[in-house]
Amino acid sequence: MRISFPIIIFIVIFIILTFGIYNNPKIVRSPLIGKQIPSFELEELNTGKIINQDIIYGKVSIINVWASWCIECLKEHKYISDLSKKNFINIYGLNYKDLKNDANGWLNIHGNPYQIILYDDLGEYAMNLGVYGVPETFLIDKKGIIRQKYIGALSEEVYYKELLPMIERINEEN
Amino acid sequence: MKKINFFLLFIFIYNFLFSMNAIGEGKYNFEKENLYKQIISETRCMVCQNQNLAESEAPLAIDLKNKIKKMVMEGKTETEIKIFLIERYSSYILYKPPFSSQNIILWLGPLIFLLVLSYILFRNLYLKK
Repeated sequence: MRISFPIIIFIVIFIILTFGIYNNPKIVRSPLIGKQIPSFELEELNTGKIINQDIIYGKVSIINVWASWCIECLKEHKYISDLSKKNFINIYGLNYKDLKNDANGWLNIHGNPYQIILYDDLGEYAMNLGVYGVPETFLIDKKGIIRQKYIGALSEEVYYKELLPMIERINEEN
Repeated sequence: MKKINFFLLFIFIYNFLFSMNAIGEGKYNFEKENLYKQIISETRCMVCQNQNLAESEAPLAIDLKNKIKKMVMEGKTETEIKIFLIERYSSYILYKPPFSSQNIILWLGPLIFLLVLSYILFRNLYLKK
């Protein structure tokens, strides 16, 4: 009994700390998951038309927060383009703290997978979404409820094993 | 000599009245300044997580500081501002997390740990004699 107590405490602390190592502190679960997307009225990047949250309803959507200055955004661009080719959900971009010319130049070079790009030059709407590291991707269901958020560039693993199955599941809901 | 004294007194009163005027108009509000400084020192920079907002110069930290400053100037209370932050960035953004069911281990864990250790120590020192 005398020896076992310290050993038990050691094991408990060891397990807690081991889990701690594999837990990425950069990824913070968003409090917005399960809630309605915050309302917005934003300019469209190219047309300058004012667009509000009505574009979200009726179809599963993703909102991808990106910027031309964001190097990581380039890494996930092929997955966003891939989703765009599948053509079964809405793909919206939120251009974050960028210049219009830079953003358009970037799209000309790398291709534009987005149906609509919302222009958030001051990052005010992104603040309402709790964005803290570009790129971020929000998955939103037909009723406008945020179902999942991915922080950082989508990787092959995340894209095929998490995002796509989740989109299919949400798509089948009424 | 007397004239000079009068003149200095006049300048002193003149300046004093002007400074009172500035305070009266609310151009500078120490209470709000302190509240702002307190909030940004208790808030985590989500980009560089071991810094608070006050220390951080990350673009998002600057945006958040401006937002907090604006809210303070609008007369928002500390609680209102913290709720604004938590709703967007979760309670992780506060260095002093709220006492909630989610964080109960964080708050009570060390106390329980201390009690258990004290019990073991007490038992070994006194009860086994």
